[in-house]
Amino acid sequence: MRFNTYEFMIAYRFLLNGRSQTVLIILGIAVGVAVQVFLISLMDGLQRNLIQRTIGSSPHITIAPPLSAPQPLGIGGGVIDDYQKPLKTEESEILSWQRYGEHLAGIKEITVAAPMVNGNGYIEKGRSSFPVIIKGITLPEADVIYKLKKNLVNGDLRPGGNNVLIGVASSEKSGLQTGDTFYLRNQKGTGDYFIIQGIFDLGASAANNMVVMSLDRARTFLDITGISAIEIQVHDVFAADGLAKELGENFGQVKAESWQERNKELLSGLRAQDTSSAMIQFFVLLSITLGIASVLAIIAIQKSRQLGILKAMGTNDKSAARIFIIQGFSMGFAGALVGILLGLGLTELFMFGTKSSGGPTYELKITLTNILLPAVLAAASASVAAFVPARRAAGLNPMEVIRNG
Amino acid sequence: MDEIIVLEQVNKFYGDEVVVQVLFDIDLSIKSGQFTAFIGPSGSGKSTLLNIIGLLEAPTSGKVSLDGQDISGLNKGEQASYRNEKIGFIFQFHYLLPEFTALENILIPHWIGKGKPPQEIVGRAMYLMERIGIEQYGGKYPHQLSGGQQQRVAIARSLINQPKIIFADEPTGNLDSKTSGMVMELLKEIVRENKTNLVMVTHDRDIAAGADRVIEIVDGRINCDFTAGRMGREKVRQELEHMACTFSSADDA
Ligand SMILES: Nc1ncnc2c1ncn2[C@@H]1O[C@H](COP(=O)(O)OP(=O)(O)OP(=O)(O)O)[C@@H](O)[C@H]1O
Ligand SMILES: [Mg+2]
Repeated sequence: MRFNTYEFMIAYRFLLNGRSQTVLIILGIAVGVAVQVFLISLMDGLQRNLIQRTIGSSPHITIAPPLSAPQPLGIGGGVIDDYQKPLKTEESEILSWQRYGEHLAGIKEITVAAPMVNGNGYIEKGRSSFPVIIKGITLPEADVIYKLKKNLVNGDLRPGGNNVLIGVASSEKSGLQTGDTFYLRNQKGTGDYFIIQGIFDLGASAANNMVVMSLDRARTFLDITGISAIEIQVHDVFAADGLAKELGENFGQVKAESWQERNKELLSGLRAQDTSSAMIQFFVLLSITLGIASVLAIIAIQKSRQLGILKAMGTNDKSAARIFIIQGFSMGFAGALVGILLGLGLTELFMFGTKSSGGPTYELKITLTNILLPAVLAAASASVAAFVPARRAAGLNPMEVIRNG
Repeated sequence: MDEIIVLEQVNKFYGDEVVVQVLFDIDLSIKSGQFTAFIGPSGSGKSTLLNIIGLLEAPTSGKVSLDGQDISGLNKGEQASYRNEKIGFIFQFHYLLPEFTALENILIPHWIGKGKPPQEIVGRAMYLMERIGIEQYGGKYPHQLSGGQQQRVAIARSLINQPKIIFADEPTGNLDSKTSGMVMELLKEIVRENKTNLVMVTHDRDIAAGADRVIEIVDGRINCDFTAGRMGREKVRQELEHMACTFSSADDA
């Protein structure tokens, strides 16, 4: 389609002439776009918030030997049964973990890759014993994932030798405090005395039932030659899935599991939310389209006299149609621009409102896509809506006008 | 080319269920450089004929040639361009675009055909306005102008693209007789100046008497056809007096 300059000139003059109509329809589109910008930002913000809270302090990808299924801390808190894997093979432990580490360090998407040792044990206190999860970590890698330092209730983050940290749940159950010495037994029945350097609160009950020590100490304590897992965090949490698949294929001997695989329910919940917001968007767009179509149809009827004259003077059918397409697109474009501003204003207002009312502060996600998508869709649907009057304009016979005055 | 308009066996039917024939086998040829007037009773088919020659309407059958070119074969788009470049229209109801000023209205045919008018074309529009005495109304909108002023804007608009033929369907039908006479004089002068052809439908005996050639249409057929040059203007006037019947609506027009 080639547009002629005069088509723009006529279209704009028509729009300017029907000023109140034009303003109304632009406002209508603007409100529709604003609602969508706000809604998408809100949904996006809430989802990111939820995901951040769910997986922010846990690994996004876990690389583990194929025979074990180490549950990440904070989610599930499962158990590795050491008795069932007496042989130290690549199948039961990651023996050549340094090699993997080097490979992982070269991948840009990865924020941190932390070697971990997991096992079960019991805090013995008098006649009682309390089951705990024993976790061997290296610093600072593990802290990037678990944010232990940030979540210390008291004490210091200085695991090493027989200095350990314990979770608040274990501390409460056993009555142990920072500075206390206690006897920790592994599943084989042997044990040692450890000193509590600090107590942490990670929020999740399973994670708060941990005893955290240095990787090397955990390896000897749990009699593990290699390590139990490599835990990874990535920049873009939604890319974890793809990266995990890639790593799994590359490494072959070990399996790589993403947070998405472990949180299928959360994801399906989010997907349902996406579907419902897509539906709302669809209906908002539909009403924009219908609104513009009806207003432009009215304009086309109001302007049939002018169209007849223009056609008598040599405007062809396609030009007549384009005059209305231009009007539709222009109103859609203007409406989208105003709508973006309104939507941003609304979003800012919402954030300000929740912040000042002391409620949970959601960082609404204002991304370029969140803004541009509804705007582009609105401008596009306005242009599509314009096809109705455009067809009318194209089909108008100038004789109808000229004969009937 | 000597013949500006040639019609061969032009027929026009209207209606789908009830078919009415409005024009019957019209054969006609009009020489270049003339002012031709179509007269005839109301409903005889004058406007239909004019619109067919002006490419606003298609004949049901027959051939129309303008300036030596057979225009029957043009498609809709080609017809539109042809109208824009070669034809000027002046209608009874001035049909200016209310959204545009007088000057803008005059320039619209140029916009349509060639886009933004250069200074030279704007100058031409100004000249035309001055020539027909509306130079002070260029910035006014149609609703701010009188009927006569509007019709003069329409005349200037019909001339802006320097068309080969100007079709005017009762251009003064809506004006009082004084204004009508003035507009007619201007139109004739300016048509002569611009060396274009004028074809007009009129109910006005005086206007018809001023034409080079008068063609009377009755019931879709050419009833009478006389050329002033051969018989002299006075003779034409007398002829027209005799044909009072065909001017049945002349006085109330
Ligand atoms: N679209 C149409 N459908 C059916 N009949 C039509 C149509 N247009 C015109 N007619 C008929 O064709 C005949 C000729 O109409 P036309 O307008 O050419 O007459 P005219 O000579 O210009 O009359 P007037 O002097 O009143 O303007 C009339 O009987 C009219 O009713
Ligand atoms: Mg008529």
